[in-house]
Amino acid sequence: MTGQRRTGAASLAAAMSELQIIESALEQASRRRRWARALRGLWYGLLVGAVLSLVLISVWHLVPLPLWTLTAAALVPLLCALGGMIVGGWHKTPLSEVARWVDGRQHLQERLSTALEFAGEEGVGTWRDLVVTDAAEHAKGLDLRRLVPFRLTKATRWAVVVLALGAGLGFVPEYRSKSFLQKKADEQNIKEVGKRLADLTRRNVEKRPPALEPTQKALEAVSDLGDQLNKKVFTRSEALKDLANVAEKLKDELKEMGKDPSLRKMEQAARASTGNDSQTAAGLQKQMEALQKQMGTPTGNPDALDKLKKDLEKLQEAAKGMASKTSPGNEAERQKLSESLSALSKQMQDMGVQLPQLDEAIKALEANQTDLVLKDLEASLTDLEKMRDMAKSLQQLQQQAEKLGKDLAEQLKNGQPELAQATLQKMVTQLKSANLAPEQLQKILQEVSKAVDPASNYGKVAEHLKNATKQLQAENKPGAAQALAAAAKELGDLAQQMGDAQELAATLDSLNQASMCIGSGQCWGMKTGNKPGYSPYGNRPGGGAGTWGDPNAQWDGQWSDHWDNSGSFRPDQDPRGHTDRGEGELSDALKPTKVKGQFQPGGQMPSITLKGVSIKGVSKVAYEEAATAAQSDAQSALSQEKVPRAYQGAVKDYFDDLKK
Amino acid sequence: MDTEQQIEIFRQAHSALRAELGKVIVGQDAVVEGTLIALFAGGHVLLEGVPGLGKTLLVRTLGEVLDLSFSRIQFTPDLMPADILGTNIVMEIPGGRREFQFQRGPIFAHLVLADEINRATPKTQSALLEAMQEHQVTAGGELRKLVEPFFVMATQNPIDQEGTYPLPEAQLDRFFFKILVGYPSAEELSEVLSRTTTGARAGVKKVLTHEALLELMKLVREVPVASHVKDYAVRLVLATHPKTETASPIASQYLRFGSSPRGGQTLLLAGKVRAMTEGRFNVSFDDIEAAAAAALRHRLILNFEAEAEGITTDHIIAQVLRDVPRDVAAVSV
Repeated sequence: MTGQRRTGAASLAAAMSELQIIESALEQASRRRRWARALRGLWYGLLVGAVLSLVLISVWHLVPLPLWTLTAAALVPLLCALGGMIVGGWHKTPLSEVARWVDGRQHLQERLSTALEFAGEEGVGTWRDLVVTDAAEHAKGLDLRRLVPFRLTKATRWAVVVLALGAGLGFVPEYRSKSFLQKKADEQNIKEVGKRLADLTRRNVEKRPPALEPTQKALEAVSDLGDQLNKKVFTRSEALKDLANVAEKLKDELKEMGKDPSLRKMEQAARASTGNDSQTAAGLQKQMEALQKQMGTPTGNPDALDKLKKDLEKLQEAAKGMASKTSPGNEAERQKLSESLSALSKQMQDMGVQLPQLDEAIKALEANQTDLVLKDLEASLTDLEKMRDMAKSLQQLQQQAEKLGKDLAEQLKNGQPELAQATLQKMVTQLKSANLAPEQLQKILQEVSKAVDPASNYGKVAEHLKNATKQLQAENKPGAAQALAAAAKELGDLAQQMGDAQELAATLDSLNQASMCIGSGQCWGMKTGNKPGYSPYGNRPGGGAGTWGDPNAQWDGQWSDHWDNSGSFRPDQDPRGHTDRGEGELSDALKPTKVKGQFQPGGQMPSITLKGVSIKGVSKVAYEEAATAAQSDAQSALSQEKVPRAYQGAVKDYFDDLKK
Repeated sequence: MDTEQQIEIFRQAHSALRAELGKVIVGQDAVVEGTLIALFAGGHVLLEGVPGLGKTLLVRTLGEVLDLSFSRIQFTPDLMPADILGTNIVMEIPGGRREFQFQRGPIFAHLVLADEINRATPKTQSALLEAMQEHQVTAGGELRKLVEPFFVMATQNPIDQEGTYPLPEAQLDRFFFKILVGYPSAEELSEVLSRTTTGARAGVKKVLTHEALLELMKLVREVPVASHVKDYAVRLVLATHPKTETASPIASQYLRFGSSPRGGQTLLLAGKVRAMTEGRFNVSFDDIEAAAAAALRHRLILNFEAEAEGITTDHIIAQVLRDVPRDVAAVSV
C-alpha cells in the first residue's frame, strides 16, 4: 500500500502506469506460456507420431504394405510434432485468463485478475487504485522462468524411446511369404519384359515401317501390350494370357500371309540367301573391290597363302634356332636359310604378294643381323596372315556373288525378288531409251520370255512378263516397258509383304521369348548356359561362345548396342549347309501349326489317365471362348515349363486343334 | 477520512478486538474470528456447542469491548415472544390517568445474546425472525425499529440433547454464520483453569464505538470482488442444490434442500471481511473457501439417507469445495 493520497487525473494516470506494468508482465507470461504449450504440443505430437510410426513399421514388417509406408513412417513423427506444436501454440489466451492463471500459480490471491478487471471500471475510485497498485507490486516480482519453466516432459523421454524402437525395428528383416516374394519378382520381371518387348517392337518398326496395315496394327498391339505390361501390374497368368492372345493374333496374321504361294518361294529363297538381299549385287561388288584394293595386286587363293605362311613360319623357326647357336657351322646354315627365304620371296612375287619386310630380312641375314632378321620375319608373317584373311573374305564374297542369279529367270528362280526387280528396272530403262539396238531388244525378249515360267510363283508377275513378251514380240517398246514396270512393282509389293511377314515372325519370336521369360521367372537376356551374349559385369568377358555365362546374371535394364550386329557384315557367320527342302517348305513361323505324327520318332505316344469330375448339362460358355481360355492356359503352362519338354509339342498341337 | 485511513482503522480495530477478546477467551481462534467477521459484515451468529465451552462468555465479552448496548435472553421452554419483544402494559400516568404503554423487551439492544435459543419453543424462536432480518419488530400493533447496529448472538446446545427444539429453517437461514464451538485443547484448558480458578478476573476495555463500527461495516461492503470470484461463490451455492444440473453429486445424494441466496451473500461478505483482515483489497478464492463451512452448514437440509448414515453438512460442504473448480477459465500449462 502506497499510503499516498491520489485524486483525479493524477490518480488515474498512476493507475494506468501500474496497469501497464501488470499488462506487460502478463503479456510476457502469456508469450512464455504459449511457447511452453507449443513445446509441450511438440513433444506430445512427437510421441503420438512415434507411436504411429512404430505401428506402421511393425505392420510393414508383418504385412506386405507398399514401400511408401516406410517413408510415411519416417515422416509421421515429424508431421505430428509439427502439428502438435502448431496446435499447442495456436491459441492465444486472453490477458484476463492469463492473469487468473498467474494468480493461481503464484498464489497471488486473485490480485492480478481483480486489478485487470477493475482497472477500466469507473466509480470504484480509490479501491481501483489500491487494487491496481497492490497488483502492480506483485507483478514486478514475477519470475517468469520459474513461473513457466521450459523443460522436457515425460512425453519426450517416451517419444525418444519409441523412436529408438522404431529405428531398431528398421534393422529387423521384414517377413514376406514365399508366394508374395514370387509375386513381386514376377511383377518386376513382367515389367522388364514388357519394357523390352515394347522397345524392341518399336525399334523394329522404326527401322522398317510395315507396309501392310494389318501388320502395322499387329505390331502396335504388341508394343501396346509391352507398355501395359511395363506400366500396369499383372499377375503371371494374366501376362501370359495376354501374351498368348497377341501371339495368337500374330500367328493368324502369319497364316494368312502364308497362304500366298508367291511368298513361299520368296521365303524359301530368303532362308537360303545371306539374309541381306540389298547388298547382294552392288554391295558385294563394292566389298570385293575394297578388299582387292586393300590387298593390292591380285593374289592367289587363301590356301596357297596359307601354305606360304606355314613355310615362312618354318623358316622363322629355323632363324630362331640359328640365332641361339654359336657354332662355326652357323655360316652354312645362314646361307641355306638365306636361299630358302629368297626362294620363298620369289614365289610370293610370282603370286603377286608383296612383302618388303621379307626382303629386309634377307638383307639383314646377309649382314648377319639375327635380331633384325627375326623382327622382319615376324612382321612379314603378320602381313601374310592378314593377306590370307582378306583373301579368304574375298573368296567368300565371290562365292556369294556366284550364287546370285545372272539373269531375270535365275533371279526369280532363286527367290531374289529385289535383284529381279532391279533387272526389270534396268530393262525398262533400256526400253525407254531411244537408241536401243534390235539385238538388245531381242536379248531382253529372250530373257523375259525365259523368266515367265519361274515367275509363276510370284503372283501376277508372270502375267505381266507374258504381256511384256507379247509387246516385245510386237516391238511395242513402250507397252513392254509398262508391262515390265508393272512386274517390277508387283515384285516390290511382294518383297514388302515378305518383309512384313519376317517382321511378324521376329515379333512372334519376341513374344514367345517374353512368354518364356515370364513363365520361367527369368529376366530377358538372362544367361544360364554357354550361349554367346550378354554379361552383366562390364569388366568381365561376356558369356560368349566358348565361355560359361553367369547363372545369376540378370539384365541390368541398360540398353546396349553391342549385341546389335544387324548392320555389320560377317561373311564368316553366313548360314551354311542350307539345302533346298523342296516345294512348299516354310519356316516354322509361316508353316501351319498343325503338326501330325509322333512327337518322339520311333516311340509310342504315352497316354495319361486323368480322373476328373463328369459335369453334365448345357454349357453356358461359348465353345470359342472356352477353347481360347484353354489355349491360353496351355500356353501359360508351356511357358512356365510345367509340361515336360517331350510332351510340349503334343500339348501345343492338341490345344491349337481345339479351335479348329 | 479517506478509504486508506478507514482501512487502517479497520485493521487496528480488528486487532484490538482480537486482543481484548483474547484476554477473556482462551483459544477458540476460529470461533472468535468467525464472530468478528460476522460482526463486521453485520450478520447474526449462531454458536453451537455443549454447555460450558465459553459461548456465552464470548458474546458477553464482545458486548463489553464494543461500546454497544447489550442484553441477554435466556431461552427456556416457557419463554414467550412478548418476553423478547416487549408488551403493552397499563401504566398510570401523572394525572391519575391510566394508559397502555409499550414496555420494550430485551431485543431492543445493539447486541442481543440469545442464550440456549433452542430450549425455547419454535413459537418463541420465531419471534426473532422479523428482528433479525428487518431490524424491526411489530409489537402492540406498531412497527418499531431496532437500534443499529443490531446483532443477535445466539448459542444453542446440540439438537440431540434433551429439552431442545430445533430451530426452523427460516430462523437458521437468518444467521450469518453458524459456528461450532469445540472442546479446548489441553493447553487451552489448562489456561482456562488458571484464569478461572484464581481471584483475579481479566478486565477488558471498550475499543470501538457503535458509530465507528457502523462506518467500518459500510467500508467492508466496498471491497471489490472480481467476477470470477463472485462466480465461484455462485457455483458453490448452486452446487448445493440437489437434483439440479449444477449440483454436486454428494449434494444430490444427501441433501433435501440446498443453500438459499443468503448463503451466497454470506460468502461474499465474509470474504470481503477476511480480505480486509488479511491486508488485501480484493476478495480471493481462499476467502470464499474459508467462509464456506460457517456460511453454509446451517443452510443445508440433510435428507433421511444422510441422517441415517451420519453424514453432516460439513462433510457435504468439504466435498462440494472439492467438486467445484475454483476457476474454470484459467487453464494450466
